Amino acid sequence: MEEKRSNSAGGVGGMVLFGLIGFVGALVVGWVVFPKMLYSEKTQPIRFSHTTHTQLGIECEQCHHLGPDGRFAGLPTTEACAECHGDETGDASPNGKEIDKFVKEYAKTGVQVPWLVYQYQPDNVFFSHAAHKGFECTKCHPDVAKMDNPPAYYENRLSGYSKDTMKMWECERCHASMGTSNACYVCHK
Amino acid sequence: MGLDRRAFLGLVAGGAVGTMFTPIPWKLIDDASIWTQNWSWIPKVPKGQIDYVATSSKLCPACEGLKIMRVAGNPVSAGGNPDHPLSRGGVSALARSEVYMLYSPARIKSPMKRSGKTFAPITWEQAVLEISEKLGAAKGSVACISGDGTGTVNELLSAFVGKLGSAGYFMMPSEAGTAAKSLKLMGTQGQAGYDFENADTVLVLGADIFETWGTSTRNRKAFGATRPVGQKPASNYIYVGPTRNNTASVCDQWIPASASDLGVVALGLAWHLLKAGVASNAPGFDTFKAVVNGGFSPEDIRRATGIAPEVMAGLAKTLASAKSPLVVMGSPFGQGLGAGPFIAGMSLNMLLGRINKPGGVYMLPELATVVPGALTRAAMLEADLPAFLKGVESGKTPAPKALLVYDANPAYGLPETATMAKALEKIPFKVGFASFMDETAALCDLVLPNSLPLERYDDVATPYGSGFCVYSLVRPIQKPVCDTKTTADVILGLARKLSIDLKFDNFQQVLKEKVATLAKASGGFVAKDVMPWQVAAGKPAPVLAGGDLWKALEAGYAWTMVGQVAQTAMGFAPEILAKAVKAGKGQATAATLIPYAQLRTGTPVTGIPCQNLTTVPDTELVKESTFVRLNSETAKALGLKKGATVKVRGAGADCEAKVHVFESVMTGVVSAPLGFGHTAFDIFSKGKGANYLSLMAVAEEPGSGMSVWTASEVKIA
Repeated sequence: MEEKRSNSAGGVGGMVLFGLIGFVGALVVGWVVFPKMLYSEKTQPIRFSHTTHTQLGIECEQCHHLGPDGRFAGLPTTEACAECHGDETGDASPNGKEIDKFVKEYAKTGVQVPWLVYQYQPDNVFFSHAAHKGFECTKCHPDVAKMDNPPAYYENRLSGYSKDTMKMWECERCHASMGTSNACYVCHK
Repeated sequence: MGLDRRAFLGLVAGGAVGTMFTPIPWKLIDDASIWTQNWSWIPKVPKGQIDYVATSSKLCPACEGLKIMRVAGNPVSAGGNPDHPLSRGGVSALARSEVYMLYSPARIKSPMKRSGKTFAPITWEQAVLEISEKLGAAKGSVACISGDGTGTVNELLSAFVGKLGSAGYFMMPSEAGTAAKSLKLMGTQGQAGYDFENADTVLVLGADIFETWGTSTRNRKAFGATRPVGQKPASNYIYVGPTRNNTASVCDQWIPASASDLGVVALGLAWHLLKAGVASNAPGFDTFKAVVNGGFSPEDIRRATGIAPEVMAGLAKTLASAKSPLVVMGSPFGQGLGAGPFIAGMSLNMLLGRINKPGGVYMLPELATVVPGALTRAAMLEADLPAFLKGVESGKTPAPKALLVYDANPAYGLPETATMAKALEKIPFKVGFASFMDETAALCDLVLPNSLPLERYDDVATPYGSGFCVYSLVRPIQKPVCDTKTTADVILGLARKLSIDLKFDNFQQVLKEKVATLAKASGGFVAKDVMPWQVAAGKPAPVLAGGDLWKALEAGYAWTMVGQVAQTAMGFAPEILAKAVKAGKGQATAATLIPYAQLRTGTPVTGIPCQNLTTVPDTELVKESTFVRLNSETAKALGLKKGATVKVRGAGADCEAKVHVFESVMTGVVSAPLGFGHTAFDIFSKGKGANYLSLMAVAEEPGSGMSVWTASEVKIA
């Protein structure tokens, strides 16, 4: 009976200690390990430098513009990029090599660059950039204009969407704060 | 202090509690729910630059102008072109499907050669070589069937067949054919064009003008323009026909009448107009008057059709008092109408003084041909295909040695279908120029896939029903999805191989020449700021000054011209009416089959567009069974109950159907949907219901000798 009581007293302390270890371990796994397992890291097919282009005085809207009917043109086509980068440069610098890669693999073959888009919404969401043009782009998008290297793209292994795809609650929260309707049909046609 | 049982439990409990404070459970549940929606067969919305390109519909008989939406250069959807006079932004269910049909499973993916009961793919070179050898051997006995009622490709085909030694050039039966033959019998020329836009009262005799008759998309827009929301309608539309179809259901009045009594109703109305003192200087008026007064009194009409004398008198008064009345004649399902009812209806237009008047009927000139040796459209429409094939089947007419079938499906789309298919089987060498593996292609020895309209150059010249001359361009907006070619180019290649001079090297040259001819035609203009019906109503026509007409057509605008051919002797053709239109003793048969057609179920050459199948209601098709519609009185007389499965027998054939009791069908009539019962195409068309056209018996119309089949007696058990 003595031994049992002694075990019991030591056991409670051990249980608390291991409980704490389990708690902290779970936090580490959940916040550090799990995201690394959930997302696969991908890089853009072409290392496009936004800063190089903004430093040349090119406005964001020149490549990412709204069409006359309010439709967002999204990403420039290969043909649009090839207006400036139609020929190989032969430049051995990292930027020159990247331009030549674009010219060789896309401009000359007419294939569209499979850019990885950080924030594509699911197909069942109707998102109009025209309706949101009063906001700064960086309110929702990473400020790539200041980046020489495009940020890594994290793809959710389960859902297939980008880590940066805006979730519905985020849309709803902003709509609520702006006094905009959150009715289903506003986004789901 | 080792990891004993309690410590382990503590570790697990701590881990479990800790996990609750991490994203693991919540994120996994959320992502798993999204994962369950990511199935491989769910189509993805394409991303990329969105643009619109203009073309015209060739698959839809309404020939409306289209705006094709493209994403990153790939067509994704078709909508109406607001700048095109045959569309004005409207689009039919069939034209809307043009993009989706690029990927139809029924598409013929490469040239095919018959090998026993199946087909084997061959190369284009092999196919052309084989055809040129066979056609060379069949010289003097080559026939052609075309289902394209508006294209310049007919010029190439008719010239090619003519120079090979033609055994006949046949168009698939249509309202245009009936009109052309009837106008010829009336001693006139030109193509009947109906100015709906300027008419204030429209009497529709049978024609399903808002669904399958003529330029139906334009007709709907013209109707809608006179009925602004919240305002008093500026037009009055009256439908006379066997069912309250898509046209009748929006008209101001529906007067039930059998499809075989349309001419009787027209002459009954003429009786009232003549009684009111209406006269005409047109040839045959006196005999016409005698014919009408002799057999079409209100009592004759009541006995023959069941329409009360006061209804007829009221209708005649409405027409006589209207500022711009217009009478339109047609078959309720777009084919089989005889000259009798057409001439009777046109006689009303003549009595009302509506020929070549705004809001009336224009006798439109034909656009000039550009291919040497080509038949004119009027000449193409003369031949009687059902009569020819029945003759071949019975052995009375020699079978041609070779047959070219272009954009047509006579093994499915003709009455007495089984007989027609047997006739085709008697022809020793058949070449099908088709885009889809339809019933006729399946009978052919060689099948050469035609590129779809979104993949080829083609054109549309004044479709039947248009109130003005119109020409629009069809242009490729993407490369062929399969190993297909434009048939017109294949014909030009064959001609070169057989040393036949057709003047042109490729079809684009032919079309450019056609457009150049139009640019020189006086009175023609590009419909942009001024529409042709405005010119008909008195607005000056814009001048087609310089400019590049081809570019304007490529941009989706239409060349149009308002006017008519000179009329010298348009008469009433009373001798035809006297024989072809008789006010009989009334309904003697218990069941008369009168089909109806809808663009959503496609045409004989398209089959049912797969996306449209979901729009077919369960009162038309349930699983593999189609429904026939009859009203409760007819059902009671025949002893039929709602939902019963029956056999409908007619013309030596029978079809299965389910009974749908529907009060929008007149008593004694069995209304059946067309477009079903395919034995070819794909899973979206094949084996879906029955082809009720096979039950329609072809009769020779007294007086004109034309093949007619607007109503057929059937037995139901």
